[in-house]
Amino acid sequence: MKLDRRFFLRGTSQGALAVMALPFLDCFLDSKGKALAATGRPLPSRFGTYFYGLGLTKQLWIPKVGGTDYEMTMELKPLEGYRKKLNVFSGLRVPLDDNPNYQHWSGAAAAATGISPTKQSEFDSKTIDQQVADVISHGTRFKSVSASAAGDPKQSYSSLGGPNTLPAEASPLSLYTRLFGPGFQDPTKGDWKPDPQIMVQQSVLSAVSESRKTAMANLGAADKARMDQYFTSVREAELQMAAELQRPDIQAKVTIPDAPGEMVCNNALPNLRATLPLMAKLGAMALATDQTRVFNMSVSEPGSQIFVPGDSLGYHQSTHEEPIDPVLGYQPRVAQYNIQNMELFAAYLKEMDAIPEGDGTLLDHMLVFAFTDQSFAKIHAVDGLPIMVAGGGSGKMKMGHHVAGDSSPVSRVGLTIQKAMGVSLDSWGKGSMEIRQPYTELLA
Amino acid sequence: MRSLFAPVLSAVLLAAIATPVVAAPSQQVTSLRRLTQAEYRNSVADIFGSEIEVRGSFEPTIRIAGLQAASTSTLSVTPVGFESFTQMADSIATQVVSEKYRAKLPCKPKDAKAPDDACSRQVLDHYGMMLFRRPLTSDELKNAANLSAKLAKSQKDFYAGLRYGLASLIQAPDFIFRKEVAVPAADKSWTIEPYSRATRLSYLLWNTTPDAELLAAAKSGDLNTAAGLDKQVTRMMTSPRLDVGMRAFFNDMLELDTFDTVSKDSILYPKWSSTIAASAKEETLRTTIGLALHDNGDMRELMTTRKTYINRALAADYRLAFPFKGDWVAYEFPADAGRSGVLTQASMLAMFSHPGRSSPTKRGVALMDIFLCEPTPTPPANVDFSAVNDPTGPLTVRQRLMAHASNSACASCHTHSDPIGLSLEGFDTIGGVRTEEKGKPIDVSATIQGKSFSGAIGLGKFLHDNPKYPACIARKMFAYSKGVNSEDVTAASFKAGRTAFIGSGYKLRSLIKGLVEDPAYFTADAPEPAATKVAASK
Repeated sequence: MKLDRRFFLRGTSQGALAVMALPFLDCFLDSKGKALAATGRPLPSRFGTYFYGLGLTKQLWIPKVGGTDYEMTMELKPLEGYRKKLNVFSGLRVPLDDNPNYQHWSGAAAAATGISPTKQSEFDSKTIDQQVADVISHGTRFKSVSASAAGDPKQSYSSLGGPNTLPAEASPLSLYTRLFGPGFQDPTKGDWKPDPQIMVQQSVLSAVSESRKTAMANLGAADKARMDQYFTSVREAELQMAAELQRPDIQAKVTIPDAPGEMVCNNALPNLRATLPLMAKLGAMALATDQTRVFNMSVSEPGSQIFVPGDSLGYHQSTHEEPIDPVLGYQPRVAQYNIQNMELFAAYLKEMDAIPEGDGTLLDHMLVFAFTDQSFAKIHAVDGLPIMVAGGGSGKMKMGHHVAGDSSPVSRVGLTIQKAMGVSLDSWGKGSMEIRQPYTELLA
Repeated sequence: MRSLFAPVLSAVLLAAIATPVVAAPSQQVTSLRRLTQAEYRNSVADIFGSEIEVRGSFEPTIRIAGLQAASTSTLSVTPVGFESFTQMADSIATQVVSEKYRAKLPCKPKDAKAPDDACSRQVLDHYGMMLFRRPLTSDELKNAANLSAKLAKSQKDFYAGLRYGLASLIQAPDFIFRKEVAVPAADKSWTIEPYSRATRLSYLLWNTTPDAELLAAAKSGDLNTAAGLDKQVTRMMTSPRLDVGMRAFFNDMLELDTFDTVSKDSILYPKWSSTIAASAKEETLRTTIGLALHDNGDMRELMTTRKTYINRALAADYRLAFPFKGDWVAYEFPADAGRSGVLTQASMLAMFSHPGRSSPTKRGVALMDIFLCEPTPTPPANVDFSAVNDPTGPLTVRQRLMAHASNSACASCHTHSDPIGLSLEGFDTIGGVRTEEKGKPIDVSATIQGKSFSGAIGLGKFLHDNPKYPACIARKMFAYSKGVNSEDVTAASFKAGRTAFIGSGYKLRSLIKGLVEDPAYFTADAPEPAATKVAASK
C-alpha cells in the first residue's frame, strides 16, 4: 500500500485523528519492517562539502606527477592518512567570463555552482550540495545541515541561489540541539517510536499551506518569488515531519553522545581545533543515523580570518602582506597557515572515517567536496584552485588520484561528483564553465 | 470575504469613482519585509506579554548599503528559517494556552474538553489582529477557527485546539513578513493604506507591532489625516518606547551587530573579553540615545562629545578607575584624553580592526560609509604589495599605507578612506590609547577633501562640521524605515526630514517628525503594468 501525504492529510482533516493515528503508525512500521528485512540493502548516498579559505601554495601542494603514485607534498602531508580516499585536482581553470573577479568570492562561487558569480557574496544558482540534496535527501529529517566552526551562522556556502543562504549552525551545542535535541527519536535504540504530536503539527502546516493563494496575491515579481520560497520552506517542513514518522534504516554502529557544553567559537586557531572536530563528529553522527544525507562544514569564511594568537597579521593579512621569501620562493608564514588548514581538514576526515558502517566506514560511503576561494590568495588568483574530493561514494568514484593540470574548468569536478551521486544531468555550469564531460576515468 | 480596508477607503474610493475607472486594480503590495529578530521578539512580547519566552534561532540578515534593514526586503524564509519559525510558533502558542495564562484570554469555553467555536473565534480574532497588524479576513479567521475546532475535537481539549489555531497564525506569512499595501488615491497616485502606515510607524518608532490605539487610528481613518497622524506620532514620540525604536535604528546604522563576530587576539590583548564587547556596544547605544532623546541634543555632538557611560568592564578597557557603585555610570573623559564622541569608543575602534592590530583602512572605510554615506569601492583584485612589504626595515602602518599612493590603482580609494583611519591610530585594536608604534611616535595627522586635521579630536570636528554627516543620518533613517537600499534613495525623498533636522539645530526628534509627517512619506508608485493586470484579473 502506498501512503502519500495527501491521503494522510485527508485522514486528519476529517477530525478523525485519534482514531486514525494507530493504524497509520502500524502501516508505516510494517512497510518499514519489510524494508529492513531485505538484507544487503544499499546504503543511501551521502554528500558533504568542506569549505576552507585562502587556498594553498602552488609550489607546496601540487604533486609533480599525476595518477595514483604521486608524492605527498608539504601542504598535502596532513592528509596522507587518507590518500587512498582522496582525489586532488590541480590546474583547474576558473574562467570568469565578463564578470569581475570578486575577491575571495568568485572562486568559491564558481566551484560551488559552476557559474561565475555576478554579485559579491551571492551564488547565481543553488549550490552543489542543494542540487545533490534534491536528489538524495528524500525521506530524511533534514534535507541538509550546515555548520560553521568559527561561530558565524553566515559562514555557510550552501545556498538556494541569490541572497538566500541556508544559515549554518554556529556552535557545537546549536548543531547538537538541531540534530539530536527536541524532535529526535534515536534510531540506534530499540524503543524507537514516532511521536504522535507530529501528525497534529502536520495539520497545522497544512493549514498554513492553504493560505498560499491569498498570500501570493498582489505581489510584485520579486516579492512573489520570496513568498514562493516561504511556501517551499513550509513544504519542506511537511516533508521533514513525514520523514520523522519513519524509523531510519541504519547500518552504522554509533551511540549518540551527550550534548556538548558552551564553547568559544571564533577564528582563533586553538578554538577551531576544538570546535571543528566536534562539529564534524556530530555531522558524521547525523549522516550515520540518516537524520540528513548532506552535511556542509565551513572552517572559516573566504578570505579566512583564522589567526594564531600572538600573530597580529593573521592568515588573511599574511597572504597579502607577507613578502615572498627570496630564497624559498614562497610566503613561509602563509605556508604554515595552509598546513594548519589542511590539518583541520584531516581532523574532519578523521571523524567521518571513525564511524564503522557496513563493509567500511561512513567516509567510504560518502563524497566530500572540499573547495576554497583562491589559488594564490596574495593576488586573488582563482585559476588553479586547489580542489579535493574525499570518501568514495560506496565505490561510485575511484579514489587515490592526483588529477594533474588538464586545464578543465573547475565545474568538471562538480559534474563528476553529481554523476557519482546519481544526479541525472547532461551538463553543469554556465558560460565558459559549462561542461558536459565528467572525469569518466574516475567514475566506476 | 470581508473587505480589509472598507471603512477608511470610502473617501478614497469616492474620489476614485469620480475619475473614469476601467477594471482598476484595488491594491498592490509595495513592501514585504521579513521581521528581524528584535522585531519578532518585541512583537510577541507586546501581543502576548513579556512573560512569554521566545527560544529559537533566527536567520541572519545581511547589510546592504550600510543597513541590515534593506535586506529584510530581499531575504525570504529558507527551510532552516521556517523550521525555527514553526517551532517558535508552537512554543509561543503552547505558553499562551497554558493554565497559568488562560485567565488573560478574552473568553472561557463552555466546556474545556470540547470545541467552542465562538470562544476560539474571539481569541483568534483578538490576537490575529495584533499579529497581522490588521483585522483578519473572514477566510483567515474561519481557517484558524476550523483548525482549532477540528483538533479540539480530536484531542478532546479546547485549549489544545486553540494552541494549534494560534500557532498557525504565528507562523503565517502575514505575521513573519510585514506587508505594506498601496491603494489608488484620488489623483492617479497610489497611497499606503492605513494599517500599513500604522505598521511602518510602529516598527520605526518603537520597533514593534502597532498597539491598540494605533490600530484604532488606522481603522477609523484618522491616520490618513494630517492631524490624526500628528496625534499618533506625537503620542509615540513622547513615550519612552521611542528609545527602543531608535536603539534599533542606531544599532543598524552604526553596524553594532558586527560585534557579534568580532574576536581579539588573546595573547596580544588578554584583557579583551566578550563582556567588554557587549559593554562597548551598550556604551555606544547609551551615548547615542542619551544625546538624541534624553538630552534632546545636537546630533553633531555625537562626533565630539566627551560624555559617555561606562561600567566596570569598560573602565578596565579604558584603563580608568571605577570607584562607583552600581552598573552603569555617566562619565566624562578629560579634555586631554584625546577622546571624541563615538569615534573613539571601544565599539567603533574594535569592530573595525584586526584581531591583533588596528586597521586604518577598515576604520576609514567603515566610518566614511557609516557617517558620510560614502562607500569605498572594492580594491582591484591583483594588487602588487611589494612596495608595501619591504622586508629590510620595519614600517609603520602609515608608511605601509602611504606606499599605496605610489600605485595609481590604489591611490584614489586609499586617499578617500585612509586619512580618517590614520587620524585614529592613537588607539589600538581594543580602543586603548597609545602614542608609539614600533618605537616611533605615531603621526595622527590627516588631510581629507582638502581639509587637514590631527587625531581623533580633529576628525571629530571635521565630521561635526561636515554637512554630509547629518544628511547621511537623514538618508539612512528614511531608508531604514522603508527597508530600501540607502544608495537608491533620492535626496528629494528625505528632504523634508533633513530640512527639519537642520532647522531644529540637529535634533533627532525633528528629523523623525519631519520624515514621517511629510505628505510624500506615505505615497507609493503605481504598480507595474504586469502586476496591475494580475491584480485586475482577480
